[in-house]
Amino acid sequence: MPERINNIFVVLICISTTLLFQNKIKGQTSFDSLDINAPKHYYKTVIFLDSYSKPNQQISDKGGMGTDSTISKKLKSYGIQQFNFGFYTPIHTHEEFNFDSTVCKNTHYLLTGNALLLQPKFDGIQTHNLLKLGVGLRIIHNSGKKGVWFIDISPFVTKDVTFGDKNGYLRMANSFIYSYNATYNFNFRIGLTKSFLWGNRNYLPYLGLRFGRLDKVNFSIQIPKSISLNIPINNALRFSVFSKPQGGMFTFSNYDSLYNNAFSLFSKNSKAFHFTRYEILTGFRLDAVLTNNLSCYASLGLSSQNNITFYSEEANAERPRRFLPLKTYFYEKNLKTTGFLNFGLVVRFGQTKSYYNNKNLYDAFDLNNVNTVGDNNSGPGNIEIPIKKTIKRSKLNLVDIQDLIDTNDN
Amino acid sequence: MKGISKIFIIFILFVCFASTIRAQQRDKIEELRAAFISKKLELSTSESEKFWPVYNEFQDKLKAIKRNLRLTYKNLPANFSDKEAEDIIALENKSKTTEAELNKTYNDKLKIIIGVKKLVKLQIYEDEFKKEVINAIKEK
Repeated sequence: MPERINNIFVVLICISTTLLFQNKIKGQTSFDSLDINAPKHYYKTVIFLDSYSKPNQQISDKGGMGTDSTISKKLKSYGIQQFNFGFYTPIHTHEEFNFDSTVCKNTHYLLTGNALLLQPKFDGIQTHNLLKLGVGLRIIHNSGKKGVWFIDISPFVTKDVTFGDKNGYLRMANSFIYSYNATYNFNFRIGLTKSFLWGNRNYLPYLGLRFGRLDKVNFSIQIPKSISLNIPINNALRFSVFSKPQGGMFTFSNYDSLYNNAFSLFSKNSKAFHFTRYEILTGFRLDAVLTNNLSCYASLGLSSQNNITFYSEEANAERPRRFLPLKTYFYEKNLKTTGFLNFGLVVRFGQTKSYYNNKNLYDAFDLNNVNTVGDNNSGPGNIEIPIKKTIKRSKLNLVDIQDLIDTNDN
Repeated sequence: MKGISKIFIIFILFVCFASTIRAQQRDKIEELRAAFISKKLELSTSESEKFWPVYNEFQDKLKAIKRNLRLTYKNLPANFSDKEAEDIIALENKSKTTEAELNKTYNDKLKIIIGVKKLVKLQIYEDEFKKEVINAIKEK
């Protein structure tokens, strides 16, 4: 309980800090006096819908004994259907130049949110609707030189909404990353992340390396989030090959009495327990930019290292540890590799300030994309970064009409 | 296995669909301008790091002034009054003055970053780019 209060406290401090920094950006007097409604932010408001699924597979316990075998028989099979709605929107952009106006620093405050509905498909029991709701804040600071700082605070609540249970469980995922752009072609990142992507709460070091420009072909290793080879075809189509973890921790109702069998002697019958899952997704992804503000993506591949567990905190605490070893999970199963399919639709709103060839801002966009909203590791992609264009020189010359055209006109 | 083959078919269909779509970029010209100048100006890495944020800000402001003026003319009623005409002329004058001030301010900033020679080249390449755009339109 004190940990939850601490988490809420951290969020409140961050929101208050944001409000404190609501200074008006100083501009030139004459420009400001024109009272022009120009874009204030570098980030657009982005809303995305994501659907992920993988087919059912049998859960088998060949020659298995005990609780695991009993639960496996009850569950029969396992598959996933997942829907994710997420957004991020800039709430404030603070920009300043150094004394000779040659270095532009900026800090971006983004509000994030997501609602994820996970339906683990166990043929032996009724489909559960596991909901994860989160609202967060991320602060991205571009020093204007080589470094970009990234802070993400994402509290979320998990609940099983299938049977009308109102009890939610508050958790928090965080990331703190420093990104160093040595050149346009090489970047490294270090940091810390508290993530649930690997099935349980993990405090992990963050290590990132990128070879190649973000607006060209690049190879990016972002441990523990993803490894990807990104191949932009043009501004309309982007292709990537990736490997990344996906998972989470959810509240699971004990409606099916999965947790009544062997341990009822030792503990009270829990109303709900925790369901954790993780898997490694390896596959291809294609992003298609349909209009300036609408894009979609599809990816498919293999889901390996599938792991699911059930555990109950109450039961673990109440179990007579003197007589039985404390097993964190009362059920754990590693499953075979299967295929997966992932679709997404992304809508962008608003206009932004220009950021062409600004490698720090490209990096800031990439940080925001790699560390997806809500710690779910599926997101809208790096569409904000324009792909480097080549100019084809025209064969025509304008000598005959040059005098008629004022090239200073825009 | 059936599930996987379905997934595969859907993916192929998606690729075919996506490849036929031509993305529309509202600010395509700005991207092309950035690519053109980037190629021509041959900035060093350190120059490039400082140049683009300042240049983009300058372009954003110029664009905003021109857009503001254009919209004001566009929203002018067919039978506008003398007062409205006075206002729009005043706005036009103020816009031109602000543009000139911005030119001076940002030329000073850019001079520190890329030097005076490259700043002159920048003006030349900007004009060249405009000619290229006109050429491209003429070709179509």
